[in-house]
Amino acid sequence: MAQSGALSRGWGMVSGLFTEVGTMMILTVRTLISAVRSPHPYGEELVWQFLFVLRLSWFPLLVSTFALNLGAPGLQAAGILSLFGALDRLGGFFVVIAIRWIGPLVTAVVVAGVAGTAITADLGARKIREELDALQVLGVDPIKNLVVPRFLALMVVTALLDIFAIIMGLSAGIAAELLYHQPLGGFFATLFTNATITDLWSSVLMCTMFGAIVAVVCSYKGMSASGGAAGVGRAVNQAVVISLVAVFFFQFVVSSVILATNPELQAVR
Amino acid sequence: MNAWLEAPRSWLDSFGEIGRFGLRVAGNVYSGRVFKFFGESLRQAGILIFGSALVIWAFVFILGLQCGLQGAYFNRSIGAPSLAGLFSAYCDLREGLPYAFGYILSAKVGTGIVAEIGAMRISDEIDALEVMGIQPITFLCATRLLGAWIAIPFLYLVGIGLIYAASYLSVVQQVGDVSSGGYLLIFWMYQSPPDLIFSLIKGMVMATVIVLVGCYYGYTASGGPVGVGTATAKSMVFNIVAVHILGMLGTVIFWGANPRAPIGG
Repeated sequence: MAQSGALSRGWGMVSGLFTEVGTMMILTVRTLISAVRSPHPYGEELVWQFLFVLRLSWFPLLVSTFALNLGAPGLQAAGILSLFGALDRLGGFFVVIAIRWIGPLVTAVVVAGVAGTAITADLGARKIREELDALQVLGVDPIKNLVVPRFLALMVVTALLDIFAIIMGLSAGIAAELLYHQPLGGFFATLFTNATITDLWSSVLMCTMFGAIVAVVCSYKGMSASGGAAGVGRAVNQAVVISLVAVFFFQFVVSSVILATNPELQAVR
Repeated sequence: MNAWLEAPRSWLDSFGEIGRFGLRVAGNVYSGRVFKFFGESLRQAGILIFGSALVIWAFVFILGLQCGLQGAYFNRSIGAPSLAGLFSAYCDLREGLPYAFGYILSAKVGTGIVAEIGAMRISDEIDALEVMGIQPITFLCATRLLGAWIAIPFLYLVGIGLIYAASYLSVVQQVGDVSSGGYLLIFWMYQSPPDLIFSLIKGMVMATVIVLVGCYYGYTASGGPVGVGTATAKSMVFNIVAVHILGMLGTVIFWGANPRAPIGG
């Protein structure tokens, strides 16, 4: 008896997961279709959302990327490279860390944690106050007017913030070199010999996808919030967990493919 | 202009408040007042384990895969693929695991606490507790902090095992530049038991801050169901920045002066 209870609970969890992922996919497709199909009434909202996300995220992003890049790759790698007497190699290392990996990752974490939570809280509040139903009664499509502008704005903002994350990451690398009293010539020399244009476009493209994932997950969770006072809080909680796990998994898959299929990234320099 | 400075200003503003609140909660734990509700603490530890452990471990595992992958390709591009273990050892134990724990704890546990305690605040349950003569800070916040301190070290140690396994998988099985024995030789050479203790301290400090921040934002939530959502979002912002700054400070304190590597005299 107890065993069948556990089994059915496990099955419930699995089927719930598939239902959720499927519903998010449907939302993604509907968002894409209504973004392309005319009319396009969301221009003003798009600009507003863009500025809103940028305003919320710029400060956490700059602090986070600088701190993470100074601590994790900067000081750890500089410590071990100084034992080898090869501190100029830090530049080549920062191509891997700041451009390929940590830049997109921290941008996604900050956008999910700062802008994604705000989107879920906003849409969840509208859902709880039954504003979304009211919009539908008025003949206004919530997906076209609310989800599409957030989706497009997050995609653009995340790609934009990735550039700032890379700049801050490289500044943190420079700060690590300066802490070890190194001239910066070696850092820039290895940085520029190791960096390829593939690194840059894959990083920015990856970030665009992260923005799309975060926007869809957070909009979905906000629009399906329910259950009174605890509901919106719980929706925010689930939204940020799902977006983080999805983003990390997606990044692993994408960077596996990009690293394995582009031989110029693996050439010995 | 003012709107653009809103985020840093509100962040600085709440910093002092959170510090005072956190000290009050930690005082409740250290003075032993929380042990009146020891059963509740154990229940909170149980909720943490059953509700969050799988998500935490899955997240840690993915980060381990990524650590191994980037390390393997980086070492190939400098012409030393056999040294991939060095990158994984540093990335897994010293940096990756504390950050992975920080991210997923602030996402799952921190915002979960805000949603729960915030809902209690909105539906006046906290005032009801006070009327019944139960200290709400002790009963709601201190028990959660003690529960986290009971459960998280064990989750962390299991996480270490998982992140090692994940890095091994991606370096040796997925990329495959280095043999299993060659990878493990370098991997174990570049870490020592004190590194594990330092890493655990880093993770526990992050976990403590995350639980306290969650309790603060939940305890002070206001403005109806919408207010709970806003408070949850705010706690996430604060936690992300706090996790990164604590991670950097931990690296500077533990490994900044001495990289603790078996190189040279």
